[in-house]
Amino acid sequence: MKKQFFLTAVAALLLGAALTGCQDTVNTVENRDLAMNPDSVDARKFSTDSFCRDRLALLSLRRSMTPGGVMMVQAQIRSERYGFWSELWSGFRGDNPYYVLYRFNWLDEHGMEVPTAANAWQPAIFIPGEIKFLQGVAPNSRCKDFVLSVMEDPNAN
Amino acid sequence: MKRSFTVVAVFATACAALLCGCGSPAKRIDPTTQGLTTVRDVNTRDWNDVSARAINSLIASGALVRPDGRKSVVMINEVKNRSGSRARTQILTNKMRQALLASGKAVTTTAVGGRGPEDNATRQVRELENDDLFNQATVQKRGTVIAPDLSLSGEIINQRTDVGRTTENTFYFHVVVTDLQTGLAVWEDNFEISKQETVNIFGY
Repeated sequence: MKKQFFLTAVAALLLGAALTGCQDTVNTVENRDLAMNPDSVDARKFSTDSFCRDRLALLSLRRSMTPGGVMMVQAQIRSERYGFWSELWSGFRGDNPYYVLYRFNWLDEHGMEVPTAANAWQPAIFIPGEIKFLQGVAPNSRCKDFVLSVMEDPNAN
Repeated sequence: MKRSFTVVAVFATACAALLCGCGSPAKRIDPTTQGLTTVRDVNTRDWNDVSARAINSLIASGALVRPDGRKSVVMINEVKNRSGSRARTQILTNKMRQALLASGKAVTTTAVGGRGPEDNATRQVRELENDDLFNQATVQKRGTVIAPDLSLSGEIINQRTDVGRTTENTFYFHVVVTDLQTGLAVWEDNFEISKQETVNIFGY
């Protein structure tokens, strides 16, 4: 009985190890001594979707001014769907890429939203471990504040 | 015999009921998150995505800023659809012209366009100068319409690949802003949207 349990456990582990080999993850390397001097933004987050919160990590939030004098923001986000359990799950489901939608809303000096066609939800596809820079550009120079919204793509399989 | 007929009738009724249950009443949706995605066409979600990327790229480039501080006057030329799909490219140009106005760096002209003036009124009202029905002091004078500095144009092409039951269709959007004084492109960018679909063995 004990031997049978042991064999089952070994078989399950082997199966898990085989399945985890199915996941494609992104591996990154960067220079250790960074020369950049970014203007980082302190982020205030409000999460309602625990899955989305756990699967994406906000690494940095930076801003700069464009040649036209408007603010540009980049959110550096990494997909956290890697590691043994994520890979095991992906092996069963085959849903390695994470499909999300994101949107920037821009606010003027009075805190009023400035509507623009660039305010639309845009798709982004994250491979496990991948780092992406979600970029937003203010519609005009009056906009100094922003809200970045991220949600799972309801149309994704 | 009678019993088997009853079973078949019940089965047919159940199937019909199931099929009837597949419909859904008309409802309003948010096209940016709930819109349909098809491989053959450029869908609403695709237009929103491409428009946002094009607007962000154009505004971030600073190409609209003039050294004399004056707002650039932009003529909306044609974005040609060479993709073979039924894509209505005005959706892209309309969104971009709205963003140009909102930027505060440019204004668009409707007096000239790629396929003629978008608004004929600018020319029509000047033809009233010989009409004694109108107070000539209120008729718009000739030589006052402002000519464009820049032109917005573009092109959409696609590349389709079929392998077995899988179809992949990639749309390439190329958008250009040309300085009309020099004929040089002061901004251009490319955007791609790829979609893939695998149909079942019945072909749908």
